[in-house]
Amino acid sequence: MSQPAATGLDGTAVPAASGRWRRSGAELSPRLLGVVMNLPTMATLTLVLAYPLFYAAFLSLHKVTPGELRRGIFPWVGFDNYARILSDPLFILALEHTLIFTIVSVTVEIVLAIAIALLIDQRQVWTSNVTKLLILVPYAVPPIANGLIWSFLYDFNFGFLNRILFTLGLIDQPIDWVGNPRTALLALTVPYVWRTLPFAILLVHAALQGIGRELYEAAGVDGAGALRRFWHITLPLLRPIIVVILVLRTSFAFAVFEEVLAITQGGPGDATWVAVWYSYKRSFAPPFDIGVGAAAAYVLALIVGGLAIAYVRLIYRPVD
Amino acid sequence: MRKSHLARLALHAANLLVIGFFMLPLAAVTIGALQSEKSLEASTRTVLPPEWTLDNFRVILSGGAQTGAIFQSATYLPDNVKKIYYALGNSIVIASSVTLLTLVFGSLSAYTVARLRLRWVVWLMNVNLFARFVPIIVLMIPLYVTFRQLGLLNSIWSVIIALTGFLLPYGVLILAPYFATIPRELEEAARIDGCSRFMAFVRITLPLSGPALASYGAIVFIIAWNDLLIPLILNNRAEFMTLPVVIASLVGDVHVFFNLMMAICLLALAPSVILVMVLRRFVIEGLVAGAVKG
Repeated sequence: MSQPAATGLDGTAVPAASGRWRRSGAELSPRLLGVVMNLPTMATLTLVLAYPLFYAAFLSLHKVTPGELRRGIFPWVGFDNYARILSDPLFILALEHTLIFTIVSVTVEIVLAIAIALLIDQRQVWTSNVTKLLILVPYAVPPIANGLIWSFLYDFNFGFLNRILFTLGLIDQPIDWVGNPRTALLALTVPYVWRTLPFAILLVHAALQGIGRELYEAAGVDGAGALRRFWHITLPLLRPIIVVILVLRTSFAFAVFEEVLAITQGGPGDATWVAVWYSYKRSFAPPFDIGVGAAAAYVLALIVGGLAIAYVRLIYRPVD
Repeated sequence: MRKSHLARLALHAANLLVIGFFMLPLAAVTIGALQSEKSLEASTRTVLPPEWTLDNFRVILSGGAQTGAIFQSATYLPDNVKKIYYALGNSIVIASSVTLLTLVFGSLSAYTVARLRLRWVVWLMNVNLFARFVPIIVLMIPLYVTFRQLGLLNSIWSVIIALTGFLLPYGVLILAPYFATIPRELEEAARIDGCSRFMAFVRITLPLSGPALASYGAIVFIIAWNDLLIPLILNNRAEFMTLPVVIASLVGDVHVFFNLMMAICLLALAPSVILVMVLRRFVIEGLVAGAVKG
């Protein structure tokens, strides 16, 4: 089934309408065709989405540590794993950090996205076109490379940020960007916003293109200034796309991982433990407690799942 | 609308600020990769190094065999980096396979959403919309256990299967709306000529959907190329690592200095950045379509 589609996809010419393709005698009914054409997708989604989702719930209710993994028998423990994480101060702390991280990075991102989208919309300013050209670059950088690059930027002794500030004569002592437990989490939001901002800018920019010039011209005739035009015309019309960005970015920011791994590894102390980091460390580092890791991941999924339902309700309305 | 001189100046300044922010990490990674450990350590208050060198790349790409003038004293190179060609090969094979599989599977599903009026297909679409929100860690813990029990850890196939599944939902979201914009009459004409429903799709609609396929393909390739969590959890032997996993393995290795790290980062980010610049228009259209439509 996948073979003919593949030939069509890479652009190679499919043989001209020869007898081979013309045989229409054995055509499938739409109903059956729908099933057959969806088989590969359904099989894949069942294997890596539906099944793991249920299996994760199963694992979170069982004792799964290296010993059990070796034997292949997972004893039932009920809600013990959940009780353990919910009474673990570190998990609560990680959830708090995740929440702070998400609120800060998403807020900053939406404000910057609107500002930069308006900026690159100024086509008569040539530097705006340069900005527009470069906007996608951060999107392509691998998150883990981004993290490592920022750990170089932030480094106390050899870091690039301190070098710049020294060269500009702005400091005479190096700054410890991520060494301070109070500000380490905020320092993490900068690389994250850097990498994920392009997506938000593009969405706002696309929405801006949909706003008719006539609206602004009419407002101009009425004598409305730029600020009032923004507040009363642009912003209300951008509201739907802002909601989309808000929901999408919030659910992704809840799952931040790579930047934490590369820049702080949860430190200093436990100042930057976030939810996915907790789940990852519990499962794949000592004590290798997969049951607890799965329970922590499930709590995260339930939080994000609530957001997803809100999103689907907001965005996906059947076509009238 | 004409702008005053001052307004133009302010806009230029704002643009420079944004460009500076976006280019800052790229400047850091490039300058860091093109100098020696010695020069990074010698002057810690200057931006540009006293001398430039390609020795970092020489060391990495020769797997530590060629050390170059500045590395004569340093003999240590992590095993994962010595086997960088495995990582490079795995990254290419995984990203390409995932792109091909998601394009084929996604096109097939998207067609049924766009053209066949079946109620359960709409339901499948909702599953796809929902799927993008599931944090990958929730799926990777059970997949790790399953693949472990089946003896499938340390294989690129498990990574390909997992990534294909995680990236398929975007395909229906991006492709189905595009297929729907292609006039149904074209397919109907082909059917009158004797094509089956399926062949009419493959020969008429699919070739006309180049832009959407390019959008989706480019996005999938970049995400697959960049992904860390899936291969990090499933594969821990150097032969099966991808470039992001090798990069992650350098974190906390006190013997590897920033110059080598930056050189590897540059090697890993160059292909996806170049791809995004070449296919810029398609990537933008795909990102917007995948987020808003559907």
